[in-house]
Amino acid sequence: MKAFENLSPATLDEAVELLGTARANGEVAYPAGGGSDLLGMVKDELVPAPDRIVDLKRIPGLDEIRTSERGTEIGGLVTVDAVARSEGIRSRYPVLAEAAAAVGAPQLRNTGTIAGNVCQRPWCWYFRQGFSCLKRGGDRCYSVIGENQQHAIFGGGPSFIVHPSDTANALVALDAEFQITGPNGERTVPASEFFILPRDSLERENVLETDELLVGISLPSTSANRSGAYRKVMDREAWTHAVVSVALTLDMDGEVCRDARIVLGGVAPIPWRVPAAEDMLRGQGITAELAQQAADSALEGAQPLAKNGYKVMMARALVRRSVLELSGAA
Amino acid sequence: MTGITRRSFLGRSGAGIAATATLPALTAGPQQKAAAQQLGQAPRTRIELTVNGEAHALEVEDRWTLVEVLRDHLELTGTRVGCDRGECGACTVLLDGRNIFACSYLAVWADGKAVETVEGLARNGVLDPLQEAFIEHDAPQCGFCTSGQLMSAKALLNEGAEVTEESVREALAGNICRCSNFLNYQAAVARGEPSNPATADPLRVVGRPTPRVDALERVTGQARYSPDIQLPGMLYARILRSPHAHALIRAIDVSPALELDGVVAVLTHENCDIDWASGDLANRRMLFNNPVRYYGDAVAAVAAVDRHTAEAAAQLIEVDYDTLPFVLDAEEALEPGAVPVQPGGNLAAPFGALRGGGSPVPGPAVYERGDIEAGLAESDVVIEDHYVSKHHNNAQMEPRTAVAQWEAGKLTVWTPTQGITNCRDDIAAAFGLPNEQVRVICEYMGGGFGNKNQCQDTDLIAAELARRTERPVKLELTRKEDFLSIHGRWPTSQYYRVGAKRDGTLHAIELRGYSGMGPHIKSSGDIAGIDFYQCPNVSKTVRTVHTNMTTSANYRAPSYPQGVFGIASVLDAICHEIDMDPVEFHLKNVTRQYRDATPYTSYGLIDCIEQGAEAFDWGNRRQPVAADAGPIKRGTGMAIGAFTARLGLSNAVLRLDDAGTLWLHAGVTDIGTGAKTTLAMIAAEAMEMDLDRVEVVWGDTDRSPYSVGESGSRTTSHTGFAIVQAAEDLKRQLDERGPPGPGEELVAEAAPNPSLEGEQRYSFAAHFVELEVDTELGGVHLTKYVAAHDSGRIVNPLTATSQVKGGVIQGIGMALHEELLYDRSTGIPVNPGYYGARIMTHLDTIPIDVVFVDTEDAHGPMGAKSIGESTIIPVVGAIANAIFNATGRRIRELPISRDRVIGAMS
Repeated sequence: MKAFENLSPATLDEAVELLGTARANGEVAYPAGGGSDLLGMVKDELVPAPDRIVDLKRIPGLDEIRTSERGTEIGGLVTVDAVARSEGIRSRYPVLAEAAAAVGAPQLRNTGTIAGNVCQRPWCWYFRQGFSCLKRGGDRCYSVIGENQQHAIFGGGPSFIVHPSDTANALVALDAEFQITGPNGERTVPASEFFILPRDSLERENVLETDELLVGISLPSTSANRSGAYRKVMDREAWTHAVVSVALTLDMDGEVCRDARIVLGGVAPIPWRVPAAEDMLRGQGITAELAQQAADSALEGAQPLAKNGYKVMMARALVRRSVLELSGAA
Repeated sequence: MTGITRRSFLGRSGAGIAATATLPALTAGPQQKAAAQQLGQAPRTRIELTVNGEAHALEVEDRWTLVEVLRDHLELTGTRVGCDRGECGACTVLLDGRNIFACSYLAVWADGKAVETVEGLARNGVLDPLQEAFIEHDAPQCGFCTSGQLMSAKALLNEGAEVTEESVREALAGNICRCSNFLNYQAAVARGEPSNPATADPLRVVGRPTPRVDALERVTGQARYSPDIQLPGMLYARILRSPHAHALIRAIDVSPALELDGVVAVLTHENCDIDWASGDLANRRMLFNNPVRYYGDAVAAVAAVDRHTAEAAAQLIEVDYDTLPFVLDAEEALEPGAVPVQPGGNLAAPFGALRGGGSPVPGPAVYERGDIEAGLAESDVVIEDHYVSKHHNNAQMEPRTAVAQWEAGKLTVWTPTQGITNCRDDIAAAFGLPNEQVRVICEYMGGGFGNKNQCQDTDLIAAELARRTERPVKLELTRKEDFLSIHGRWPTSQYYRVGAKRDGTLHAIELRGYSGMGPHIKSSGDIAGIDFYQCPNVSKTVRTVHTNMTTSANYRAPSYPQGVFGIASVLDAICHEIDMDPVEFHLKNVTRQYRDATPYTSYGLIDCIEQGAEAFDWGNRRQPVAADAGPIKRGTGMAIGAFTARLGLSNAVLRLDDAGTLWLHAGVTDIGTGAKTTLAMIAAEAMEMDLDRVEVVWGDTDRSPYSVGESGSRTTSHTGFAIVQAAEDLKRQLDERGPPGPGEELVAEAAPNPSLEGEQRYSFAAHFVELEVDTELGGVHLTKYVAAHDSGRIVNPLTATSQVKGGVIQGIGMALHEELLYDRSTGIPVNPGYYGARIMTHLDTIPIDVVFVDTEDAHGPMGAKSIGESTIIPVVGAIANAIFNATGRRIRELPISRDRVIGAMS
């Protein structure tokens, strides 16, 4: 790695200021939460070499999970492991606890933060191998005529990355809100509006502007009847991103589904919510037939590339099975 | 290293670290002013770290990772670097009690925190119970991943939660073991039963499950691997590699690199013309070639005062390329108009002819017996089919590192090699030195599986940089470079026509095959497996072809698993066609004599099939094809294997000293197989001594005699044979002269070169697998695996069982996950590395039942044959056949990944 300076601000304001100052001086500066994805990209020169790394880990108060009647607040620096193990999250938001537990490997969950997991850069193999692709300022998405087994079947174009984060799918399913801090103050963005498609931006995968930081996540309180599950299909049994995943929540009133969220991972450049499928479940008793119809509806409109058509069948089966399993109708 | 020894475990090695140290750059020297300047430019921070309970105040460069500080500056080299990207787990340490990847964490971020490494596990002279369990369960093979496995296990135990088989697998999920000894690691942490299968009639020492003689070094971090070598004044080297699959270098400007402070030397094809003879048997290969013929081909090498400077300098070199057309596929490379990868064209000469010397003519390797066309015409059923296998990287945990030093005209190279003598001879030849002027040292080696057989270009580049700079040089490859530039198993395309009689008698086998070798020929390129069957009419034609993929060469049983995938699938199709049980078919058709003509010295193949089928409960588990109606379908499959147990030249020296210690000098490196232990057991047995009286001297060409390289599963047979002979001599001396008096010793040396007349010596195997195919999600989940092996007398059942399990699990990865995948528009691989190539993890494993059948072989040491490579041979074929049995769909291309399973079902 080229030499850089590590800065350890004690407050968020200081962190934002350090990032801004560096940039004003024509320097390259990156914030680091857990830092493992950042260091890998710096080592592989997938991003411009930094002059400064602003380490956020010493900022107090951002590594706590707070629960009240109004919901749960997760600090941006809470580790993925802490999210997976939190009793409060496991009992109230099992879809998130399961998604967090499905991330990477124990060592990555121990250092990786929830904010970093949500904001991680794509794991498209062209991007990670340093191809001069659209995401890196190049002139094409190599997957289009290349090895696109892992690429998007929804929302693709001109780049066909899939969003790699497991927890992001769960957070969209939970109607989470993201707290953002930056040079222009604070703002809150619903999870469903946080992620953006390549057709809206090739440089980034979310709405964070220059020097803005994702500092916290709010989860609304949930009814006792809401259950949730995260199911992840991988091409080995651990330590990799989803081929296809589904984040699912169901509000059941006896046999009847009052509300549902179905968010697909591994199929699109953003967590891919499928409202039409949710609508099919709402107000209905869940049967094998209905689960199949919802699954069919979830995959309607998929536009596979040459080598990823299998994802359609896989996702359809995963949605059907997850709905049946979680509703108890299986 | 001082400290814990095998016999007297007295205490943790002190490692001589002061409680407070300001980390210096390097030792002073004339060239170090530039170094200091260079280092002075990098921002530094004072931090406080508690490492294994000791407080350290350090000044570190901000860019240094935690593992860099631990290894390079605190000399705690027990923490290994396998990938430097958080993809392998070798660098796992505890940070405030939790396991993290020390390669992916800056040292400055650890300021004020407590770090625990493998060196801190043993306390007050007592091993941690985990370390004891690791030894008892034979958890480390090569040992390179062991420290990381220990620290993740420690993190689990720190939690205080209940330890279950499942929680252990989850806790170790971030620690890859490419020897694939996952099951022993899991059993050690979960305190399961050690895998100690009894073998019939053990001898005094041989035949009894025995922990490795160097297990202690492997579980304490004391084992010293080539990357651990640090010498005063040492420079670091980095290689600049081709960004093109095929290109002519028009101009190369190294001056920007040389202008960088701290850069001492740069090599390119313009100023270095050293032959890398062992890098290609068919074509002249230099250390740096023009044109470059694959993505990752070496273009230049830089030596500088530290690795960051060397890395930065390599990128400053300006290269003007003229890109050329490239070809990746072996069959396309033989089409008219294909770009020539080598001046002589893309078809190579047969490997046998290349090895024979002379002027080999390009052409296929051909083997024939009987009349193939008549045989096919006479058959009642003929299956014609096509199978494709891919490039699989060996992915050994230890990346290539070479450290070279010249002293008074003598060159010493520390390098991970499977054969110190071969490696030394290659290096000596390249530099025009007599062999005695070169010393190769490899004390511990972090796996190779065939890709550390010969001298590598890294050895020669480090030596040449050291020669020019007159300083020691360490050349480290990154994990990505190791994937791109070393080698892996060759991809194949296999066309079969196979005929059988209605009663299941095999009558004709034709194979027309193509092996893509990359630009260089280092290995046979054969496609093996049809020799496992008796058959009157056989025709095999295999073409080895130059392409612009990375070089292909040896990976565990080099030509077999891919060949067995093909032939076992075709024969399974014949069984299906004539409605015959595969076990019955095999009992009827498997080889009884080598190529139906030459008797075997010993033969346990039928026993493997019968005893394996019984252990598997084949009769009850086997169901008709696609018997399950639901989306998850169960199936069973089997395949067989055979691998040579050659005899040949090797040496051993035995010295009996006046204290009664038997010193065994053998030029092995112990690549993880347990060779040191096996050979010590053979020596103890032959001398009728206890094992703990034997000391092995190994891994150093100046201290140990020639031994055959640890490849071809031949160490036990070759070197073991030499030990038995030397022991006979030593016993004769003892009889004649009595035990050595004070200050005396008895010495016996043997250098036998046994050969066989009119016989072939083989080990055999039969594997049985049951699995479930999720036809909707595309997953294949193994539920039972039995591996039955005839390897003659098993010298050490403990380590032999580890070999079998490891080979099987590597085979599962090859069958279901792994492939080095190339982008066809650029000729660049998209997934080099553990993450991309989907190397197996703890959670991908299943229990494996190992059966050793009882055979006696008159020729080997105490009747032992071979084991290491036969273990992987049947795996892919057995799995592919079980998938057919489950689904009724035959998948003809590896890997059998989810996309292919779903594709086959629709």
